[in-house]
Amino acid sequence: MDILASFGQGLLVVLEPQNLMYCFIGVFLGTFIGVLPGIGSMAAIAMILPLTFYLDPTPAIIMIAAVFYGAEYGGSTAAILMNVPGTPAASITAIEGHALAKKGRAGVALFSTATASFGGGVFGMIVIAFLSPSLAKLALSFGPADYFAVILLGLVAASAVSNGGALKGIAMVVTGLMLGTIGIDLTTGDLRFTMGIPELRDGVHIVIVAMGLFGVTELIASIRTNLKGKSDVEVDFDDLYPSKEEWKSLPAPILRGSAIGSFFGALPGTGQTIAAAIAYAVEKRVSPWRKRFGTGVVPGVAVPEAANNAATQTAFIPTLTLGVPGSPPMAIVIGALMIYGITPGPRLLTEQPDMFWGLVASFLVGNIMLLVLNVPLIGMWVRLLKIPYKYMYPTIIVLICMGVYSLNNNVFDIWLTLVIGAAGYIMRLFRFEPAPLLLGFVLGPIMEEQLRRTMLLSRGDPMVFLERPISATLIAITVGILIFGLYSTQRKRRQTRAAQQNSTGR
Amino acid sequence: MTKLPDHSTELGAEPAEATSLGWGSAIGGLLLLVLSIIFMAGGWRLGLGVPTRLGTGAFPFFAGGILAVLACAICIDERRGDGIADTPDWIAFLAISAALAVFALTADQVGLVPAAFLTVIIASLPDTSLSLLGKAILGVVVSVACWILFIELLNLPVKPFVRFW
Amino acid sequence: MKLDRRTILGTSLAALTALSASFAMAEPGPWSDEPVRIVVTFPPGGTSDLVARLVAQYLDTEFGQKAVVDNRPGAAGTVAADFVSQQDPDGTTVLLANNAPFTIAPTRFKSIPYEPIDGFTHLAYIGASAPGLFVHPSSGITTLEEYVAFVETAPMTYGSSGVGSISHILGEAVDAAVGVESIHVPYQGSSPAIQDFRAGVLDSFYDMVVQNSDMIEDNEAVALAIASPERNPQLPDVPTFKEQGYDVVIENWVGLSGPAGIDPAMAAKINETVLAVFAIPEVRDRLTELGITHTAMSTEDYSTLVGELIEVWKPLIIAAGIAE
Repeated sequence: MDILASFGQGLLVVLEPQNLMYCFIGVFLGTFIGVLPGIGSMAAIAMILPLTFYLDPTPAIIMIAAVFYGAEYGGSTAAILMNVPGTPAASITAIEGHALAKKGRAGVALFSTATASFGGGVFGMIVIAFLSPSLAKLALSFGPADYFAVILLGLVAASAVSNGGALKGIAMVVTGLMLGTIGIDLTTGDLRFTMGIPELRDGVHIVIVAMGLFGVTELIASIRTNLKGKSDVEVDFDDLYPSKEEWKSLPAPILRGSAIGSFFGALPGTGQTIAAAIAYAVEKRVSPWRKRFGTGVVPGVAVPEAANNAATQTAFIPTLTLGVPGSPPMAIVIGALMIYGITPGPRLLTEQPDMFWGLVASFLVGNIMLLVLNVPLIGMWVRLLKIPYKYMYPTIIVLICMGVYSLNNNVFDIWLTLVIGAAGYIMRLFRFEPAPLLLGFVLGPIMEEQLRRTMLLSRGDPMVFLERPISATLIAITVGILIFGLYSTQRKRRQTRAAQQNSTGR
Repeated sequence: MTKLPDHSTELGAEPAEATSLGWGSAIGGLLLLVLSIIFMAGGWRLGLGVPTRLGTGAFPFFAGGILAVLACAICIDERRGDGIADTPDWIAFLAISAALAVFALTADQVGLVPAAFLTVIIASLPDTSLSLLGKAILGVVVSVACWILFIELLNLPVKPFVRFW
Repeated sequence: MKLDRRTILGTSLAALTALSASFAMAEPGPWSDEPVRIVVTFPPGGTSDLVARLVAQYLDTEFGQKAVVDNRPGAAGTVAADFVSQQDPDGTTVLLANNAPFTIAPTRFKSIPYEPIDGFTHLAYIGASAPGLFVHPSSGITTLEEYVAFVETAPMTYGSSGVGSISHILGEAVDAAVGVESIHVPYQGSSPAIQDFRAGVLDSFYDMVVQNSDMIEDNEAVALAIASPERNPQLPDVPTFKEQGYDVVIENWVGLSGPAGIDPAMAAKINETVLAVFAIPEVRDRLTELGITHTAMSTEDYSTLVGELIEVWKPLIIAAGIAE
């Protein structure tokens, strides 16, 4: 009852017209800025930050949060329409989402993400309201060894994301791990694989990898087909909304995705990407639609989106209750609070109950706004695909350039996008998928950091990974998935080969 | 080019044209093998360290090692499997690469607006369905829209025009 | 379609404009009619960034000088410093200067693409904050003396905000002064280090002291010593290293510096305006909350100080073993 009363109090805070307005402005700007390829939640928050200085802390934090989840939401729109994920997590949504769009069902995909985002957001909010203290405790009980184990699990799950077979998937994950080592070594400060290029000191920016592997590669690959005939992304305006059967298939993946997302979101540093990848991998195993995964199915769009959005909300748990930002946008949230003299930490809940509960309640209000704002926009986004490709693709390439250029205002990043895009295109020719690579790239540096930290703290004893209950459990699950994955690939291959021999006589 | 039956539905991608390469599709695996060797060698040179204090090169070295094994497995797999690869479209490849290169070369020198204009022109070169005038108009529209969107609205610290004369 | 989108973005512009009345003003600023770009060496959200945004905000509202913050993180601050040193010295581009590109990079890196003294017009000093040493209350250690006695028998692990960070350099300096070798565990920024410290993974950590006053009050961390020359008035109970017999003084300073060749009259005007910003009590309060103690300084004094600090930091960086 206590929580409900506090939540009601928070709801009163959000429903003050001023807070309501800033929540809406945040959601609105976030959605539109997030749609732009390469300009993700981080850039959106950074842009909005100066404006918040004119506000009181509560509306400021409500607006920043709204921009954050608005942009995370917007990122999936570009991923579905153009296969240009704004965030690494959106690359998982792109797998089924863009496949749906290619089948002329972009409206259905967008509708599913809107619904799933809403479900995930509300689920995440409920988790924050009820479980904040215990999840914060959980995050605190995660030591470096446990982080290593959870990332290992995430990566193995990520390789299962690949539709081109587990072997190629793992190979791409490992390639991503290696690319992630480019730049300054966080543990020693030495340079690795920078080839004497000063811009590579800080490594390759995630947006560059995503733009290159997804955006540029997709453009190259689709120009010919699109220019020859009509657009390969067909638009069917009668098919904007999911079918009855698809509607029924939505709730279960949204719930599963939200639960997985809520858990990982609370672990600082792993967050949305792992959440989306694991949720997708799990869904691929348990969904009644699993056989059709990879060809564009509604549950496949809903699950990473629900996970992503739930994780986006629960990411506030470590940020606010421990003062540990899991991601750069969360670091800005902390920075913004500090400007008001509010130090996020265990005291925040008791010292700033209005702000905390106002924020939690704003998640509900903001997610409703997001839904109300975006469902009518689906038709508009889909109509965007009606624009002939000859106008679209030069525009997309300029948008990619701008997105990348805005990272550091350095044209070197454009050159890097070119190189990665070209490499991605060659990979694509041989049917290697970019999503596992991107996940390996994102998680590799954290994994290495935690591995080396664990070894440093254990004075060189690798047994810690099996001695700590959390990491031991996670590693056992990982090994299980690996064995099962290899076994099922083998079996599937034997089956397909037998089937092919029967049908073609080859 | 004739359309081949679509092998790809189970692979997720939907290329319109694909070629059966036979063992040629093992090239992908071979490229990964080369990459893994580069990282292993680089990791070795950077130093592997000791278990307590893993060296700078340890992680890339071991990741490279795992990739090498996987790459070999992929080569074997592809060789005996029926390797499929998409038919490359080198014209599109060149146009997009050139468009990015042009943006990189001009953004700082002449400013965002002319750079965006040139990028549009170069990117649309292989497209015969759009006249030169049409390309120019598209270029103007896109570059002006970028100016409004990124500089005026989003306040990115980029100059729309640079005096280069 | 384009139109639709533009209309919507137009609406958002209207919203943005409504948010800050200052957008409507277009009066000439005290030293430049064009908006001033404050380049920050770190990504948004850090102390440097917050200081820059604070300055930008008050320059605009109080003095009619438009200013935007331009984050150009990278290569330990040298990317931003290099960029600023190459701009026109017309006062429209300034750097939020700090230790990273000026006092650490020149010694740490074999070569840097700019001259830390001659390549800049050092305009205005803003202030400094000091890091210190924290241990876990469960260790039972409450004084630096007890700490020294402890580490002499068994080395401790300490967390820092990263290799080459101020907290790392301080850790190495304290190790050298005490004569022990602690186990350095680098993190990316101080908050993950604090998380592991709270979780009992780390024995100790170095970080800015004032920013962690909550932890000190809640007895979650014991601050043994602060590396400022004198005790911080906000935390008078935390002794300095110096007064306990260890000559370790390390401060994290911030200032504003522009490209070389800014007209002295303009430099003086900028200095005057920035000092006027920090004379506003509200701004001072916010700065204090960020743990920064403000000191008013002339351009000449600030310029001399940067030169001195490079020399002060040189042996520390070499001793920390992070020089290339």
